[in-house]
Amino acid sequence: MDFRTPDIDWAALAPVLVLMGTSAFVLLVGVFLPRGARRGFSATFTALGLLCAAIAAGILFAQDETASLTLRESIWRDRLAEMAQILVCGAGLLAVGVSYWERRAPVDDDGTEAPADEHERIVELYALLLAAVGGMAFFVQADNLMALFLGLEWFSIALYILTAISVHRLSSLEAGLKYLIVGSFGSAILLFGSAFVYGATGALEFRAIAEASGDAERLFLVAGLALILVGLAFKMSAAPFHMWTPDVYQGAPTSITAFMAAATKVAALVLTMRVLTTAFPGEEELWTWGLAGIACVSLVWGNLAALVQTDVKRLLAYSSVSHAGFLLMPIAAGNELGGRALLFYLVSYAAMSVGSFAIVAARERELRRPVTLENLGGFGWERPFYGVTMAVFMFGFIGLPPAGLFLGKFYAFAAAYERGWTWLVIVGVLGTVISIYYYLGVIAAMYMRPAEARVAPAGGSPPRDLPLATTVFLALIVTVGSLVAADPLIDLMRDAVASLTFPH
Amino acid sequence: MLGPGIASYLIVSVVLFGIGSLGVLVRRSPLIVLLSLELMLNSANLTLIAFSRHVGGEDGQIFALAVMVVAASEAVVGLGLIVAMSRFTVDLDVDKLRMLRG
Repeated sequence: MDFRTPDIDWAALAPVLVLMGTSAFVLLVGVFLPRGARRGFSATFTALGLLCAAIAAGILFAQDETASLTLRESIWRDRLAEMAQILVCGAGLLAVGVSYWERRAPVDDDGTEAPADEHERIVELYALLLAAVGGMAFFVQADNLMALFLGLEWFSIALYILTAISVHRLSSLEAGLKYLIVGSFGSAILLFGSAFVYGATGALEFRAIAEASGDAERLFLVAGLALILVGLAFKMSAAPFHMWTPDVYQGAPTSITAFMAAATKVAALVLTMRVLTTAFPGEEELWTWGLAGIACVSLVWGNLAALVQTDVKRLLAYSSVSHAGFLLMPIAAGNELGGRALLFYLVSYAAMSVGSFAIVAARERELRRPVTLENLGGFGWERPFYGVTMAVFMFGFIGLPPAGLFLGKFYAFAAAYERGWTWLVIVGVLGTVISIYYYLGVIAAMYMRPAEARVAPAGGSPPRDLPLATTVFLALIVTVGSLVAADPLIDLMRDAVASLTFPH
Repeated sequence: MLGPGIASYLIVSVVLFGIGSLGVLVRRSPLIVLLSLELMLNSANLTLIAFSRHVGGEDGQIFALAVMVVAASEAVVGLGLIVAMSRFTVDLDVDKLRMLRG
């Protein structure tokens, strides 16, 4: 019998392999360590693994002048994937800092101390975090509908468990189950769409789909494309497929929310751009208009719903729905400027998402209860560093300096304008205007509540939390740095999208 | 080619997908919802296999095998969550799960 091993470019898989290897290592070794040593051990190695994976992706980014395919043409080795991997690993790295002390004194829904065995699940948390990042790193490389679906489920299943990892809190379990049901519903829709595209074109590989789409059965191809778009919209939490987002963001442990808000968006949006431009260039009329529609709905719905929220995590969840709208704008524009705008936007958006949820986590740990606009009162005066940083993030989400999102939003609007879609720019500006109200509301809650309305931290002075403070500081540096170093960053993003061919 | 044509398979799988998504949207027990999700995934499998035979490649069948693995892991996580929730002795009814709302 003739048995040959396929020719595999292992270097292209290096980031994924490092992440999964570290995940297995942390899980297997962590079990044998004494309880006291587990937290330090697993967090250290998780951070190291994420750093190594990001460095590997960075080295590949420097080397790969041209894009290539490997694993029987099912995954890409190109700069777009490597840039997305760096971003996802960065978000994971920041999440390690947020989660380090999260479970030092876990609380139940009613504010009482959780049972002691809660302290044990720290190893699982970090192993799953690594697995989720590994899944995303694989997902953004996909060049095949099968790799796309498997990568999607790989990181989604890890995220379902991470959401529900505080098993002593019913709200965490509820969020996990809701995420599982709605997330799997979205994945099933995406899979059904993939099956139809396969039936229409007889191919699973993206470029083969594009080649065969000329004489494909139109009905199957269009239905398949629409279903794939809907499935991806579920993952990036764009309205009207966002209904899971507020519940899951609110119920999940805050460190996991921070990670999900940043990393899932990066992975889902980068892959959406890749699959649409690579596999469906002939149907660009359909998907550019479809995405523009989803973007409008997200902008309107996300911003309006955020106005009435009182829970800060829910408020930020709706803000992330509205940002899905802003992020879809450059993809819908379908031009090279849009590709650059998307990646540039994602850098500061990811940093600000993790940073703002980290600050919510800081307040949560002081009060031992969910953070609302009400009990945020006085936080800005009590913790000046967090207060000022949160204000920078909130101004940044609006699109004001000193955050890089200032330019990111400008580029996103410019991409839509270049396409000739002034109406989309107007919707975007209107969304921004609405959003000023609730973002400033957070700042007002921190600084302008009268002293008697303040809630005292439980148990005296707040605990020292160096990993969390470092994370917030790093997020601030990336947020401001992406504005300061905007020029070189945009050049990098131009290289990153060079392997894609845009329809406009 | 033996057996019924591609159209019959497609009709069955679209009907299955419809039943599955209806089940997810209207049924209340999380167990039935998980079951409906499996139905949706398996209807996609049927489509893949039918198309695979229709276009004459084996890609679709390999895809279907991979989907079965994914479906199994999803069911494991889902059932695990339901067991963990049942320790709180709450009614297993997705309409009553409404601690998280705003």
